[in-house]
Amino acid sequence: MAGLIEQERYTCAIGALQTVVAIPRAVPILHSGPGCGVMIKGFFERSAGYAGGETAPCTNFSEKEVVFGGTDRLRNIIKNTYKVLDTDLQVVVTGCTAGIVGDDVASVTDEFLYEEDRPIVHVETSGFKSNNYVSHSAVVNAIIDQYVSRFEQENPSRSEKNLVNVIASIPYQDQFWKGNLKEYKRLLEGLGLKVNILFGPHSGGVKEWQTIPKANFNVFVSPWYGEPIVKNLQRRYGQPYYKFGYLPIGANETTKFLNGVVDFALEQGAEIDEKKARAFIAEEEKAYYEELDNLATFLLEFRYGLPSYVHILHDAGYVTGLTKFLLHETGLVPKEQFIVDNIPAKYQAQVAADIKETSDKREIPVYFDPDAGAMQDIIRGLKHKGRGLILGSGWDKELAAEINADFLSIACPTPYRIVLTTNYVGYTGGLRVIEDIYNTALATYK
Amino acid sequence: MAKELRQIAIYGKGGIGKSTTTQNLTAGLVERGNHVMVVGCDPKADSTRLLLGGLHQKTVLDTLRDQGEDEIELDAILKEGFMGTKCVESGGPEPGVGCAGRGIITSIGLLERLGAYTEDLDYVFYDVLGDVVCGGFAMPIREGKAKEIYIVASGEMMALYAANNISKGIARYARQGGVRLGGIICNSRNVDREAELVRAFAKELGTQMIHFVPRDNDVQRAEIRKKTVIQHFPQSRQADEYRALAEKIEQNDMFVIPKPMTQERLEEILFEYGLMENVEADYRI
Repeated sequence: MAGLIEQERYTCAIGALQTVVAIPRAVPILHSGPGCGVMIKGFFERSAGYAGGETAPCTNFSEKEVVFGGTDRLRNIIKNTYKVLDTDLQVVVTGCTAGIVGDDVASVTDEFLYEEDRPIVHVETSGFKSNNYVSHSAVVNAIIDQYVSRFEQENPSRSEKNLVNVIASIPYQDQFWKGNLKEYKRLLEGLGLKVNILFGPHSGGVKEWQTIPKANFNVFVSPWYGEPIVKNLQRRYGQPYYKFGYLPIGANETTKFLNGVVDFALEQGAEIDEKKARAFIAEEEKAYYEELDNLATFLLEFRYGLPSYVHILHDAGYVTGLTKFLLHETGLVPKEQFIVDNIPAKYQAQVAADIKETSDKREIPVYFDPDAGAMQDIIRGLKHKGRGLILGSGWDKELAAEINADFLSIACPTPYRIVLTTNYVGYTGGLRVIEDIYNTALATYK
Repeated sequence: MAKELRQIAIYGKGGIGKSTTTQNLTAGLVERGNHVMVVGCDPKADSTRLLLGGLHQKTVLDTLRDQGEDEIELDAILKEGFMGTKCVESGGPEPGVGCAGRGIITSIGLLERLGAYTEDLDYVFYDVLGDVVCGGFAMPIREGKAKEIYIVASGEMMALYAANNISKGIARYARQGGVRLGGIICNSRNVDREAELVRAFAKELGTQMIHFVPRDNDVQRAEIRKKTVIQHFPQSRQADEYRALAEKIEQNDMFVIPKPMTQERLEEILFEYGLMENVEADYRI
């Protein structure tokens, strides 16, 4: 357990304040030292959202609060937040020092909840407890347990046959989260379902969260992170969940994903028109392949201009999804892959099996290690024929230059790329990955 | 209707007999057919020794340190003692290092996640180290945890000082949540006019002396044999005292927000009941 990790590609637990920022009209309140928000902003570079990162209300916990307790200060900050921000949900997230001195945050938020009927939630996100891949679930579950639960009467569990909640991208940690969630929503609606996407501009914000219990089932796209959320919903509201263990990128996997959802929805008694749903999938596929048809001559002629192998450094969902996509739909050969999200040991075998299943002809070695610096050293020591491509965070740009490989920034931190609404999942996401990879190669032409 | 779980925290000055009283009281309650869990919140991890017939070998924090949070199973940290009592010891860091208060927060959080609070339980006792010294030691009386508190005290001055101080902590948390003081358990030290003094002290706090447990060497004899008095000397007078305490706790309906007194007022009461004078009187003999 002990030892240094170089280039951690995620944040400490308090990074899940960004999960709150991603809910329209919700605001995080940091009960932490002033540096926590700054660090989160630093990690997510230029995109930390409104009242996110270091612009979130913060108690600026210092020695005085350590010695005398910080609850009075927290009470003040909450009161002042009400004065300056008009919000529908306030979530108090706590840092390490508040956790160590044992501030009773619940009792403070309860004052506002019971005395002023405020929509306020608290959650412990001490950095020493976990990282943001894990605490994202803690934050979502805290909102479900302390806020959504107050609207259960008007929203009886599983009362809307065609409604689903989507638990997928972690906002901000997945830099394509906005585009990805929008695409999931579009695709699932195409099947005839109604979708609570929960985060981003295409969600109905806090009002949408209130209807979470009504969903018939949940769509869970993730190898591991977010699992406590679907388990909690299963326990609370009896909602089963459909799991797809990696990101569906490109036609093969998106079709597989959507057909799986249709089968599951029908099993759960959703009232969707199966014929129409399958026809929607076929239509989406057709549009995808039309683009490949269009480019067919170029793709054939340019095959020697493309890199011949790929290393990906990312979380398990991306590495698996991209590996499958790149091998089968772009012809790029995935070599050693690096999963740097600190995925707990008990999920690793499944991820390894998913990647192994990608090809029965090629072995794709996978490393599970949050020490991305050490993973870079492994890459430095490898010898493969031809030109390489590295898909990773901005920190991998120099490595790519060192080994004369192409580089595409797809993971946090991302100093060399701005992402607004781009998506990588779905049919359109696959096309976007193709665009990005070819553009990267073409950009090297002088 | 589902029965309501009563979660009770026991506080009191160090060495006053909190653990001994809690365990004997627990034995009294299980004899009456209750299902009880005792959670030791003291780094010394000796809160369940009499119920288990020896020290608990695996504290929550030791297990956490050795195995990591993902690997912990409830069976490893929850042991069954006298008549099916469930026993857990939070444990703590080694003396002089780390933060015991945070340790308690971590252990109780872990117990909740592991599902230790089962529906069959009637009582959960938190046997907490000494005083409410920091946020961590207040964990058992926070929102959603123990709603009832009993303070173990004797007629000795320092025990009453401590009890008054603990009441300040309770009053603070009572304002914010539902925690209430259920009474003072007098664990006698054979001080003059002890029962009267403690009763007056309790009244001033706005509570009651729920029971006077007389001093009896049977307690020590049973302790040496790692047993509660009820288990080791079931027929003894002292065993009946603990049974009486159990019955009173079971039937208690007096739960108050204590009114801690000033130092001056506390000393006045001590004078009134002759404690100070008696000290002088002793010199004359």
